[in-house]
Amino acid sequence: MEKELSSKESLALITEMITKAKEETAGDGGFQLLLWGWVIALCNFGHFTLEKLGYEYPYHVWILVVPASVISFWKGFQIARKARVKSHISRVINQVWIMVFAGIVITLAFMPVIGYNQNPVILILSGLGIWTTGSLIRVNFVRAGGVLLLVAAAVGFMLPVSSQHLVSGVAMVLGYLLPGYYLKENCRERV
Amino acid sequence: MFKPLDPLLHSQLRLAVMSLLISVEEAEFTFLREKTKSTAGNLSVQLDKLEKAGYIGIEKSFKGKRPLTTCKITKTGLKAFEEYVENLKNYIE
Repeated sequence: MEKELSSKESLALITEMITKAKEETAGDGGFQLLLWGWVIALCNFGHFTLEKLGYEYPYHVWILVVPASVISFWKGFQIARKARVKSHISRVINQVWIMVFAGIVITLAFMPVIGYNQNPVILILSGLGIWTTGSLIRVNFVRAGGVLLLVAAAVGFMLPVSSQHLVSGVAMVLGYLLPGYYLKENCRERV
Repeated sequence: MFKPLDPLLHSQLRLAVMSLLISVEEAEFTFLREKTKSTAGNLSVQLDKLEKAGYIGIEKSFKGKRPLTTCKITKTGLKAFEEYVENLKNYIE
């Protein structure tokens, strides 16, 4: 026999279930933010340090992006395959990041054309992605990361290219890693 | 003026299912069972009632070798749910 619901119980049940559904579709525990935050921050700091030490090919450090891309796509595919729920939010977030990724690839392809000022441009593209993600999952701390990346981009444009790596590294720590760890702490299961 | 609450939705398990489905595009049977803490048998019966009313669509397929049941809310279901919530507000106010 089913329990008779009062109006208040009905409302409480609706709220509880919507919250549960939201938790399930709200994120990947910040996995992608943490992965890319660590990799790009290390690459930027590595590039900056190697350049200061006089190493001839400081950009070699960026080879780390190759395994990171493989891990990122593999993990994203695994999460999508195992997902028991499809949501509009997850779909939109995926589409946004695909376009951000495409934008970054185009920027990197035309580095000489933009005078090797690719770092601030990439920060702008990433900032848009982080801001949109934060807005969709309604986490202001993540949105703030997006704002910080845009501010860092503006600062980067005012500095010489060699110093932009340092700015980008710091921006990745503050704009990617901090929101990433915040999502992880808050037990978000997927993004 | 109080309008009567839709009896199909004014039931604990069916309302829980509709509230979950309203938030997502589609959801697997196992997800609904876990979140509503119901038994497979009871959930199947209630899903069947919601489907017959045209409130949800049920699709049966396979994930690898395992059978997969996926549910999604229909436009009729969405409208009914919105009306239910609207009427519910009147009862509470």
